[in-house]
Amino acid sequence: MAKRSIVPFGPQHPVLPEPVHLDLVLEDETVVGAIPSIGYIHRGLEKLVEKRDFKQYVYIAERVCGICSCGHGMGYCESVEKVMGIEVPRRAEYLRTIWMEMSRVHSHLLWLGLLADAMGFESLFMESWRLREKILDMFDQTAGGRIILSVNCVGGVLKDMDGGMLQGVLHAIEDLEKEMKPVIDTFLEDYTVQSRLKGTGVLSRENAIAMGAVGPTLRASGEAYDVRMLGYAAYNDLSVEPIIESDGDCYARCEVRLREILQSFALIREAIQKIPEGPIAVPVKGNPKGEYFMRIEQPRGEAIYYVKGNGTKYLDRFRLRTPTTSNIPPMVEMLKGCQLADVPLLILTIDPCVSCTER
Amino acid sequence: MKKTRMFTFAGRVLSNLFQKPATTNYPFQPVEYPERMRGHVVIKIEDCISCGLCVRQCPSQAIQVDKKAGTWKINRFDCVQCGNCVNVCPKKCLTMEKGYTEPDSQKTCEIFTRPKQEETKPTSGGKPAMDPEKCVYCTLCAKKCPQNALKVDRKEKIWELNKEACIQCGICMSVCPKHAIEMKE
Repeated sequence: MAKRSIVPFGPQHPVLPEPVHLDLVLEDETVVGAIPSIGYIHRGLEKLVEKRDFKQYVYIAERVCGICSCGHGMGYCESVEKVMGIEVPRRAEYLRTIWMEMSRVHSHLLWLGLLADAMGFESLFMESWRLREKILDMFDQTAGGRIILSVNCVGGVLKDMDGGMLQGVLHAIEDLEKEMKPVIDTFLEDYTVQSRLKGTGVLSRENAIAMGAVGPTLRASGEAYDVRMLGYAAYNDLSVEPIIESDGDCYARCEVRLREILQSFALIREAIQKIPEGPIAVPVKGNPKGEYFMRIEQPRGEAIYYVKGNGTKYLDRFRLRTPTTSNIPPMVEMLKGCQLADVPLLILTIDPCVSCTER
Repeated sequence: MKKTRMFTFAGRVLSNLFQKPATTNYPFQPVEYPERMRGHVVIKIEDCISCGLCVRQCPSQAIQVDKKAGTWKINRFDCVQCGNCVNVCPKKCLTMEKGYTEPDSQKTCEIFTRPKQEETKPTSGGKPAMDPEKCVYCTLCAKKCPQNALKVDRKEKIWELNKEACIQCGICMSVCPKHAIEMKE
């Protein structure tokens, strides 16, 4: 038996956008175990719910994460609305869905860029981020912010998109879809990409379920599980099908995300076609009393929101379980048996967002 | 089974060599901001009544209001440009303008002072009082109150003010079709 050694990985590492630490147990070049530790960027945002009005807290919930910002705002608002028994206008739900799907495209393009960067494919990384910039411009035009949209409020949305703006989004998506084609082809067919991704970090379907994987990590292992199927917001009117791959390796996780981008384009088109006229928000009176669990599908996977109100304007508790929290145990499982050189790539394929995880 | 190709991205890389850069040459080429962009908060201080609603609604506690001195103070470095103050302002004197504020080496506050006006009929500075002879209990004041501080019942002929919630913005007085409301000290 080869001698075992421990190599510390992170919290600062070129491939990690955010700090997470791993103690890698190695036998020669092979990883036989990994011990993760987090806690480098805890900000105490959940505690802040006791100090801020429940309507104001939307802006704080949005700032839990820069990339899933729209989803966090939406998840929080929907759970408070459910506690208070508010029926959100249908148009507002459609608008939330459109922004949410645009966020998914933006998040996946960001991830694809990071993946290309981790492989050393610099030109593909820059191309992915160039395309992502177009989504950010769309956000700027429709919501007024590039990253933090601040469009959700308890009772609906704050901004409407008129016909011209919706047409603008459609045109932008059409252009983007055309420009995505060479990027998708490169990710799926290029020899370099395939040799780095195929067969690395295989997570079997059984393991993925047992370890509690969520989102694209779970779907790449062949399990058809997508929270959008529950039909929150406007998803019950749209044709959402979970996108699955069966290999469970890094390549499958990449393919799931690429196909999800195309699915998001289709969903935005469908939503714009079906969006009804009407008000975008209802007035909110009173304070929340009671508790509610809300699940939504963030770009990285299933996120759970829990709110508990006590009848005053300050909530008793807000709890957020982010997708990365669930994806860390499967990641540790994937790392077992891989080569040390593949570790950065493997960590990246679960799309870790440590800021979300630590809140 | 996906096919495998070599140099898949070579075409794009080569064409990039002969294209204009994807980035703009900022600051020499100015940025065109979209209409809705939330850049920074601007106040029309003449219209401000120092009600303090923006202070209470600011999630990052960047705004301070001094009612006596008539000042409105904002720490631009704390402001997160969420636009909440703009949404709640009863007098609509706050707006979000395009463009970012200048960077600075110190976290300074920007202070706006309301110009002294000749004493006219006060629109603020007191809580609303209703004249029962003029009031028709139309409930318009209650609907327009930004704080939901008024409770009006047409059938029972009840007009009640929650004095703690009232921010003395004077909107009830301005919307009253019968001029039945006065702001009294």
